[in-house]
Amino acid sequence: MLDTLKALLATLSLAVAPAWAEDWPAPDWQTDPTPIDWQAVDAYAFPPDGSLRTDALLIIRDGRILHERYAAPTTASTAHLTWSVSKSVLATLLGVAQGEGRFQLQDPVARFYPPMQAHPQVRLGDLLHWASGLAWQEDYEYAPLHSSVVAMLYTRGREDMAAYTAARPAAQLPGQRFLYSSGDSNLLAAALRGMLDAGEYADYPWQALFTPLGINSAVWERDGAGSYVGSSYLYLTARDLARIGLLMQRDGRWRERQLVPATWVAFNRTPFALAEAVPGEANPGGHWWLNTASPGGARPWPHAPADTYAALGHWGQALYVLPTQKLVIVRYADDRGDSYQHDQLLERVLAALAGEGA
Amino acid sequence: MRRVLLVLLALLGVSLGWSGWQARQALADFPGILSAYSAKEYCSCRFVMGFDPAYCRGYVKQWLPLGLLAENSAQRLVTAEGLGRRNQAAWQGARVGCRLLP
Repeated sequence: MLDTLKALLATLSLAVAPAWAEDWPAPDWQTDPTPIDWQAVDAYAFPPDGSLRTDALLIIRDGRILHERYAAPTTASTAHLTWSVSKSVLATLLGVAQGEGRFQLQDPVARFYPPMQAHPQVRLGDLLHWASGLAWQEDYEYAPLHSSVVAMLYTRGREDMAAYTAARPAAQLPGQRFLYSSGDSNLLAAALRGMLDAGEYADYPWQALFTPLGINSAVWERDGAGSYVGSSYLYLTARDLARIGLLMQRDGRWRERQLVPATWVAFNRTPFALAEAVPGEANPGGHWWLNTASPGGARPWPHAPADTYAALGHWGQALYVLPTQKLVIVRYADDRGDSYQHDQLLERVLAALAGEGA
Repeated sequence: MRRVLLVLLALLGVSLGWSGWQARQALADFPGILSAYSAKEYCSCRFVMGFDPAYCRGYVKQWLPLGLLAENSAQRLVTAEGLGRRNQAAWQGARVGCRLLP
């Protein structure tokens, strides 16, 4: 009898083995001890001449840490500014809200954020494509005089960033043209408030996304009106940003729970059809950046697979997801130039993995 | 010839006046950018990312010099002055970090 039971239990454990074999950072990330030569990757990311200033590099494969390196003063416990990576995390947060039935892509933004009644045709899907059609100048330090984003963050718009954006004139019909705009992202952050019951907003990023993922380091700064600065001001440790990456890599599922609908992740990963391809520049999807090939056949990052996608921020912040390779890569940096090449880093990571066991 | 020149000058004056009128808001805002940027990003560097004062001074350094960059560590309040404008940012809480004060 006991033997039968044992045999039964053994069979049962075999049957459920695949589910248990999947690695999740719960509570902490496990390490994959496979010896891999990271020299070429580190030589690129952490050059002795300081031409690139990588603060953190974290490479995860199928839920386990393969490689991790920090440059002082950043450490594994530093909640680092992500700049525009915030936008893609906001889109993932909105994915939870969409899964809860709080909105549809074709809903007018004005339904959730009344100041957008000045632009009643703009839909949430347009904002996620950075295609509101509102006049916008997205430049940081090189053209501060006419930069809409500088005005929004630091002068005229800082008390209420969404209101500042909604007051911009329409330059195009909505949904027709991609124009990268931090204002569009902050309209999304303000619209989220209108989707929730009174008092839910302050806790929502934690309740809906960060806590289920075991993220403890998040800081998300707000404007004077109390809206999250969805465009720019989320801070996370590299290990916690990688949790967002793993959620995306596994199509919105976190352990047994479908936290974000798989259809939403598919939307994030679908190129905006009306965006014109710019050589070497990742293509906009639903508030995430894609390595899809242009009609001419060239991928923005030629050495990375076409299904690679990313969240990207100012001064070299990046979260890359390579679903086929089951890779999640976080890079934090303080690059004050534009010499960093996504393709270079990804090429070297893939080459190091190709040499595995060699 | 002189008449052509006069017309050209008049045209130039009108176009400069027009763009100046358009740019007046941006020009009025411009001097405030440096101190606002420095106060906000220094505050977050210190009290959100948790780096030391020397690092954060370097982190916010721009090509235009600041007249003042001072922190009140007890209140987590940062004051910056530059180009004749003064801005303050303060830490608001563990989840919400820093914000520019009105």
